[in-house]
Amino acid sequence: MTRSAEAALLLTASVIAAFGTALVGFTRGIGLDAQVALTFIVFVGAFGSVHLSLRRWAPSANPYLFPLAAILAAVGLTEVYRLDPELGSVQRWSLLIAAAAASALIFVLRGDGVAVLRRYRYLFLTFGVALLLLPLLPDTWAVRGIEANGSRLWVGFDLPGRTVSFQPGEIAKLLLAVFLASYLADHHLAMGTTRRKIGRLALPPLRQFGPILLAAAAAFAVLVYQRDLGASLLLFALFVGAIYLATGQLAYIVAGAVLVVAGGAASYQMFSHVQRRVGAWLDPFADFSDAGYQVAQSLFALGSGSLTGSGVGMGRPDLIPAAATDFIFAAVAEEMGFAGAVAVIATFALLVAAGFGIALHTRDLFRRFLAACLTLVLAVQTLLILAGVLRLFPITGITLPFMSYGGTSLVANMLLLAMLARISHGARV
Amino acid sequence: MNGPIRHLAGVIFVAFAVLVGAVTYLQVIRGPEYRDDPRNLRVATGRAGKERGTIITADGVIVARSAADPNDPQLFRRTYPEGESYAHVVGYATLIFGAAGIEQTRSAALVSDRDATISGVLNAILGGDIRPQGLRLSIVDDLQQAAVIALGEQYGAVVALDPDTGAILAMVSNPGFDPTSLQGRDAGPAGNALDADPGEPLRNRAVNATYPPGSVFKIITAAAALEAGIAGGGTTFDDPLTLELPGSTATISNYDGEVCANGDIVTLTQALVSSCNTTFGALGMQVGAEQLVTRAEAFGFNQEIPFDLDTLTSVIPGAESFANDLPGVAQSAIGQRDVRATPLQMALVGAAVANDGEIMQPYLVQQVFNSAGEVESEATPAVWRRAMSPASAASLTDLMEKAVVAGTGFRAQIPGFRVAGKTGTAEVPGGPPDAWFIGFGPVDAAPGEGRVVVAVVVEDGGTAGTNGTGGSIAAPIAKSVMESFLGQ
Repeated sequence: MTRSAEAALLLTASVIAAFGTALVGFTRGIGLDAQVALTFIVFVGAFGSVHLSLRRWAPSANPYLFPLAAILAAVGLTEVYRLDPELGSVQRWSLLIAAAAASALIFVLRGDGVAVLRRYRYLFLTFGVALLLLPLLPDTWAVRGIEANGSRLWVGFDLPGRTVSFQPGEIAKLLLAVFLASYLADHHLAMGTTRRKIGRLALPPLRQFGPILLAAAAAFAVLVYQRDLGASLLLFALFVGAIYLATGQLAYIVAGAVLVVAGGAASYQMFSHVQRRVGAWLDPFADFSDAGYQVAQSLFALGSGSLTGSGVGMGRPDLIPAAATDFIFAAVAEEMGFAGAVAVIATFALLVAAGFGIALHTRDLFRRFLAACLTLVLAVQTLLILAGVLRLFPITGITLPFMSYGGTSLVANMLLLAMLARISHGARV
Repeated sequence: MNGPIRHLAGVIFVAFAVLVGAVTYLQVIRGPEYRDDPRNLRVATGRAGKERGTIITADGVIVARSAADPNDPQLFRRTYPEGESYAHVVGYATLIFGAAGIEQTRSAALVSDRDATISGVLNAILGGDIRPQGLRLSIVDDLQQAAVIALGEQYGAVVALDPDTGAILAMVSNPGFDPTSLQGRDAGPAGNALDADPGEPLRNRAVNATYPPGSVFKIITAAAALEAGIAGGGTTFDDPLTLELPGSTATISNYDGEVCANGDIVTLTQALVSSCNTTFGALGMQVGAEQLVTRAEAFGFNQEIPFDLDTLTSVIPGAESFANDLPGVAQSAIGQRDVRATPLQMALVGAAVANDGEIMQPYLVQQVFNSAGEVESEATPAVWRRAMSPASAASLTDLMEKAVVAGTGFRAQIPGFRVAGKTGTAEVPGGPPDAWFIGFGPVDAAPGEGRVVVAVVVEDGGTAGTNGTGGSIAAPIAKSVMESFLGQ
């Protein structure tokens, strides 16, 4: 029953994606063309394969995860395709690859697969940190790091005719979530107790926190070295959130917040591109033609969108630099208006709610922590970039899950959903 | 163990709610402000390439049109077939340099409703007229071209209008530019060059430049004296070589440095005909600052002129600023000191004399017509203000006609027609004088038969340089325009 509902919802999302491509075609004066059919086929193929994998290997998994992701992907692809048909075409193939990866992960995690993850946590930690280190590979190597916009986040290698690049950090956050969930499942009891006190201040048990702090420090050192402060913030939120989940002690959140402020102040002093971004955040119009240009253009887009938007293909989101990646939400808000923007936020909120629901309904500690950590990653990433676009926070340069142009991000977030789906299957059995 | 997850989820949902609040604030509350920000290119680019309405003159000459691009029927190109001669009146609407002239002020009528707004789409579906409206200007091409030719290479402006309706019949400013050059790919360098040109070719000197009016201001001084009952045409004044100014070492002398008439006594009529500074300086002091400023404001000084183009306001300092400054009053009475006027304002001064003391509201747009050529709205003549009584206007007409028949304005004489006028040669510190002429004719036309008022200013003495005067430089230009009007 639930799987049939899922199939119907996925088909609806596929029709919406095809409709989006058709709209772009009409506003470009091309009309209906093969691209519309291609979008529909790719969506049906991608989400159909995930759906069939779920039917086979996780039949009682939560049926809303992938339909919610599919509708976000449909809206995102429509806007990316509208901004640049070539990027849209690439994004379509990325979706196929991401769906294949998610299906494969559902297969790998069949039976006791999730429990196996728990045993190899240090392997995942090592892999995770290694992935974070990859962009530091020298420029001259066949597989090399690539720097863009002041951050060194990409790894690329040459295939005949083109360069393939990806962001290993996107995958690393999943591995680190698995490590954290596993470690905390084994040690949360000890971590929740306090052995020593200095006056009224209770000190946490260093023995249990040692490894986790080391892991966190290693991850941050790498990210700060690469100057990817958005991902640093995301990982930091993951570590602090996970420790709070395990101990239930609010003090960690407070301590974490203090560290974020201190770290933020320090990076403001150290990095010129952080200063630019903070300046653009505080007053984008002060340096309109330079640092504030992007944020100001985003505000123009939001304002021009008004209630119902200009209509797909009828606005000018192309005026915003990096509209297809960091500012995809501003593009959606301009062309689909306030109504579309709120719908997107609500869809993300539903997805996050489904994730936390899975965590709450899972008895096994590891799975429960893993579901919560994965949901936390998804939620914090979404909040960080949306808060950036909406000027509640400086722009951090991370992608909006399922919507921004970017293959690695799409693959990582589909894998994240695959894990959540597999955990939810276990919970319901 | 559910507590922490619930709490964390709670915090995250509050954060999502804050996002919705932020979207509401940015899109709905602050939205219009961002949408209309001049730096938001959407407004301008949205209009670029769209069809704009045709602009024609009163006699049907096309001065602005949009034609579909042969390569892309969705794209329209704007051209200005008459080029420089209508550049300042018609203006331009560009992506990079903004807009000017009628293209700017009447943009709402000229843009197409063929857009992506809900009302635009609905209108198209319901078969409504979504093509832009066109404008018929009040300008008559013959007069406009006569003014362009008469002004020639000289910097300055010409305004011609119908005193009975306020319709502008010609408006020329030189130097000019070709508005078509601001369209298309080379608009950037072309516009920058125009902007940087010290001759300010983009400025419409007819409405957006003020000059010291010099002796043409004597019309207002005479009107103030007539209205106050201080003097009439036959009133006599002393005729000194120079006018001593009380409490000051400064003096006022006449243009040629001679006495006005016989060196004994001179009538007001003689003084206006010969444009005597000594007489009008003395008359100004006799009238007083209060009456002089009040009368100038009745003619439109210090008032915003309601017009189809943005205009500068002509100024005379307030009466209170002349307390204990009789020399200032005397100098202001001959249009010097801090008195500044636009050519349009001085045309309206001429119109007041021609139209029994009443100034009609000037206008440039005669008709708005739809894409089928049907008239949608038409300008209705309206009185702007009363400058003086009909009796004073009749006296001034008489004085000004004599100034043309037997005075400084003789170069504006047209055989067979009665022309009235007044010259001005305004001193400009450190440079040649600005040459003025305002006049009208035919004086004896019956109401409804048609008369024309012409105001001319030529900067820096025109082709005559330091020797240039209103009579030698400006009056012949006004004559050419009036001849064109009279069909000569």
